[in-house]
Amino acid sequence: MNRSSIKTWQVFLPLAILCLIVVFYHGLYGNPSYIPPVIVNTPAPDFIAPELYEEKGQRAPREMRLSDYKGKVVVLNFWASWCTECALEHPSLLEINQRYAQDPRFVMLGVNYQDKENPAKEYLAKHGNNFKHVRDFSGKISIDYGIYGVPETFVIDKQGMIRHKSIGPIIGQNYTHVVEDIIEPLLKGEALKG
Amino acid sequence: MRYRYFQICFFLLFFSSIVFAAPLTEEQVQSKVREISKTLRCAVCQSESVWESNAELASQMRAIVRERVIAGESGDEIRAYFISRYGDFIVLKPRVKGINQVIWFGPFLLLGVAGFLIYRKICVWVKQATPVTPSEIVPIDDAGQKRIAEALASYNTGEK
Repeated sequence: MNRSSIKTWQVFLPLAILCLIVVFYHGLYGNPSYIPPVIVNTPAPDFIAPELYEEKGQRAPREMRLSDYKGKVVVLNFWASWCTECALEHPSLLEINQRYAQDPRFVMLGVNYQDKENPAKEYLAKHGNNFKHVRDFSGKISIDYGIYGVPETFVIDKQGMIRHKSIGPIIGQNYTHVVEDIIEPLLKGEALKG
Repeated sequence: MRYRYFQICFFLLFFSSIVFAAPLTEEQVQSKVREISKTLRCAVCQSESVWESNAELASQMRAIVRERVIAGESGDEIRAYFISRYGDFIVLKPRVKGINQVIWFGPFLLLGVAGFLIYRKICVWVKQATPVTPSEIVPIDDAGQKRIAEALASYNTGEK
């Protein structure tokens, strides 16, 4: 090995060590509860589940299928009555649904996660409700969507592809981001930035 | 004779397929569920496996594992399903793939590089050291030999 190749090693080695330090630092000091979503840009898993409320004149809640909403931009929110952060974001969800209430290309759906019927209904009676909800009895919908806590919200495009996953409450900057950078472009049929 | 041979082959294949397609017993299902669940991380408690965790989500995940085992899916297929939903995070043993390879091979690579550098350094030291030929060795003179004898004697008697 000649002198110039030794110099290459001398440059490469500290660089490699630096890269490893960066990787380990990221692993050790990153947020341990943050798990990068792998489900974004994959087809939204279809589900069939009973609605939380029965419609007037019906004895039992009817079953809802996600694929019934194909062709629309779907905001799918996972929530529970025992979740304090869900209550925090609930006004934002009502506001988003109110904003697009007249738009036939938009629909918002709630998935009640690990909850009981009465507390869920009491929660909605207390915090208000202007969109449909289904119950996830077996946890199958939640696991299909890779849920590990609530609230989590997905934005699905008109073709049925998951385009955004929001972990935590949709409030403040996240609210603006979801509405302006995700929902609006998807409704217009534009590509998302980034 | 040839026809009989085909008949035997056909029956063997037919019965073996029945044996392979036979539904798993409850004990076998339990054992497979345990084996697979132990390799999956509980998504809410993180430090526990799906098998060990008492969290509701873990119990629901076990139910899905059970459902898929009964449907005839292999452990790898079931793990692949959970990875497609939660990412590599969901398996307790990281897969040897992509950036994960740094975890598996990084320490060995570092060890190899360090060993190579130490070897090179030793080679340089050996090269730099001036070898001594037997002809260059100066014999100990009388005074030196006397000093050695004295030192040995004092050592043997324990004196200083």
